[in-house]
Amino acid sequence: MAKMRYIDALTLALKEEIERDPNVFIVGEEVAQYNGTIEVTKGFLEKYGPLRLVDTPISEAGIIGLGIGAAMAGLRPVCEMMRMDFALPAYDQIAQHAAKIRYMFGGQFKVPMVVRGPSGVVNQLSAQHSQSLETLFCHCPGLKVVTPATPADAKGLLKAAIRDDNPVIVLEALKIHFLKPDQWDHIQPGLSEVPEDPEFVTPLGQAQVLREGKDVTLISYSTMSITCLRAANLLAQEGISAEVVDLRSLLPLDMATPLASIKKTHRAVVVQEQWGLYGCGAEISAQISERAFYDLDAPVQRVAGAFVPMPYSKALETLAYPNENDVVAAVKRALAAK
Amino acid sequence: MAKGTAEAPATEAGDAEISANTVTEKPFDREKYRRFYEQMVHIREFEELCAVAFKKGTHGIGGYLHLYSGEEAIACGIIGALDRSKGDCFIGHYRDHGYALAAGSDPNEVMAEICGKATGCSKGKGGSMHICDAARGFYGGYGIVGGNVPIALGLGWALKYKKLDGVCVCFFGDGSMNQGGFHETLNMAQLYRVPVLFVLENNGYAMGTSIERSHANPNLASRVESYAMKYDTIDGQNIVTVHERATEIVEEMRRNPAPFFLECKTYRYHGHGAADEAKQTVYRSREEIEQAKQRDPLVIAERLLLEQGAINDEEIERIRKEALAAAEASLKFSDESPNPSPDELLKDVYA
Repeated sequence: MAKMRYIDALTLALKEEIERDPNVFIVGEEVAQYNGTIEVTKGFLEKYGPLRLVDTPISEAGIIGLGIGAAMAGLRPVCEMMRMDFALPAYDQIAQHAAKIRYMFGGQFKVPMVVRGPSGVVNQLSAQHSQSLETLFCHCPGLKVVTPATPADAKGLLKAAIRDDNPVIVLEALKIHFLKPDQWDHIQPGLSEVPEDPEFVTPLGQAQVLREGKDVTLISYSTMSITCLRAANLLAQEGISAEVVDLRSLLPLDMATPLASIKKTHRAVVVQEQWGLYGCGAEISAQISERAFYDLDAPVQRVAGAFVPMPYSKALETLAYPNENDVVAAVKRALAAK
Repeated sequence: MAKGTAEAPATEAGDAEISANTVTEKPFDREKYRRFYEQMVHIREFEELCAVAFKKGTHGIGGYLHLYSGEEAIACGIIGALDRSKGDCFIGHYRDHGYALAAGSDPNEVMAEICGKATGCSKGKGGSMHICDAARGFYGGYGIVGGNVPIALGLGWALKYKKLDGVCVCFFGDGSMNQGGFHETLNMAQLYRVPVLFVLENNGYAMGTSIERSHANPNLASRVESYAMKYDTIDGQNIVTVHERATEIVEEMRRNPAPFFLECKTYRYHGHGAADEAKQTVYRSREEIEQAKQRDPLVIAERLLLEQGAINDEEIERIRKEALAAAEASLKFSDESPNPSPDELLKDVYA
């Protein structure tokens, strides 16, 4: 085990995979000469050369198209979106092409590509650079969507995504990229630890219990899983024991893990950073109602972002996405119900 | 033909131009062009039978059906210039039956796909717009105008990455050139010297919108000058012109990997899709269609083969009959094929 930041775990995953498999290459804006916009691929160009670290024009549809075709022809492209918001100009390539090629050609082709990049609400990046777009990808049969919340999963899920034979969207939680190991371990001891084994992967579609508890189940993913851990720490001070389930992967979605937890706690709070209306939390809540209704002692509570474009002013921004106090309040609503 | 100059539409080109194109220095390869002619006739009969079957409504053909009649010389001449052993491949759009047939795909499987049968090349899951043949390097037909073009960049990239001297052919229509992804792709292809032969099948209309009504610069090939890409415009109705030029370009691309843009002037005889056959006069006249048929690629090929003594009237008649019989046999095969079984619904979503 090594203690590292989330961003370092991403770099390690890419390095290990590019060294393991000669078919893996990285393509995107500023990935090579510039060392990566936030330096995830620092030093890679020098080491692996321009065929495997491909700088592109600001042409997202071209980047994703290049990835799709290369994947169909047997390579394993890792397409970087400088921010996942920029996947929208390429949404036709992702949703209409990458996702559907296997099915609409009756299984003749596979598209083993990764589309990855920083995602989520980040300090004052405002309306067009600070949002969580997972629902747009989760609505596409044929895609897989993963949302690592910890340094270990930043490595393990990204490596699993690169090795997967399908198009996988990796939504990296920018808000927690630069937390230092001691900050991670302060939230929960051991959270900064990343297995050094180059064969370590986190299988897609397996949720994890990040913290055990008995009174309520907090279900979340990405940055909000860490917010839930912070909330659980606050709740513990009041004698409330919260179990935190981190979904890790939204597509495929492992509901067995949260349902087993709810069987134990009888209360569920679903937490997401994105807009609540039609969001992933709505799907998870619906499945809980369908499959665990009689295990519940209280209605499922949802915590979600305000249904507005992300405002710029810090004063408004902090109101637009959930924090640990919002989670604590939702837990208390769930506990108040008899 | 001169580079970078607007050519008259294929419909207006005179016979003099055709003859000029057919006087070649190379000896006329009778066998090859006879084979292309047979392929073109097979595609024509196949497409015309599809049109009939669509109207009849009893063969399982629904949705959109885009027919290639009038454009056959392009698929046959260009796919015929490729060499699978070198890694050559191609990708198309929704008017895609002809590509598969030109590549030698089993017409039964193509027809069964159009009819939504389990024996179709895409197991009945794709339909007319999503014909493919991985073994023959056909990476499929795509339903979104211009959507296949960025994917061609990746197919070409893979050739470069693997250090193969193959080329990828990307077929698209004039409508694709007004999509953003098209321009991103051309820029990147030239920037990276990716071996993609971009083949514009300029049939004059994006659905019902003419070139004049949709392109600020109607000289379409010249639009790629802004990407510093080599290009040419040829008569897409003449199989010899198409094949010889494609062969030269592909050879050059193997020697010096770089993309190339080849505009083939052509004409489609049917509506954009079989469903809007009746609306054609909204945007073009019956006279225009009839005039275009004067330059039918099959007739041009026939005339050439006759001139060269590579075929006679009897053989022409026989080839037609065989093509019709093959098309009918494919429809019969399809009719006798099972529908996809219900358990296929959820298969092939993921690898």
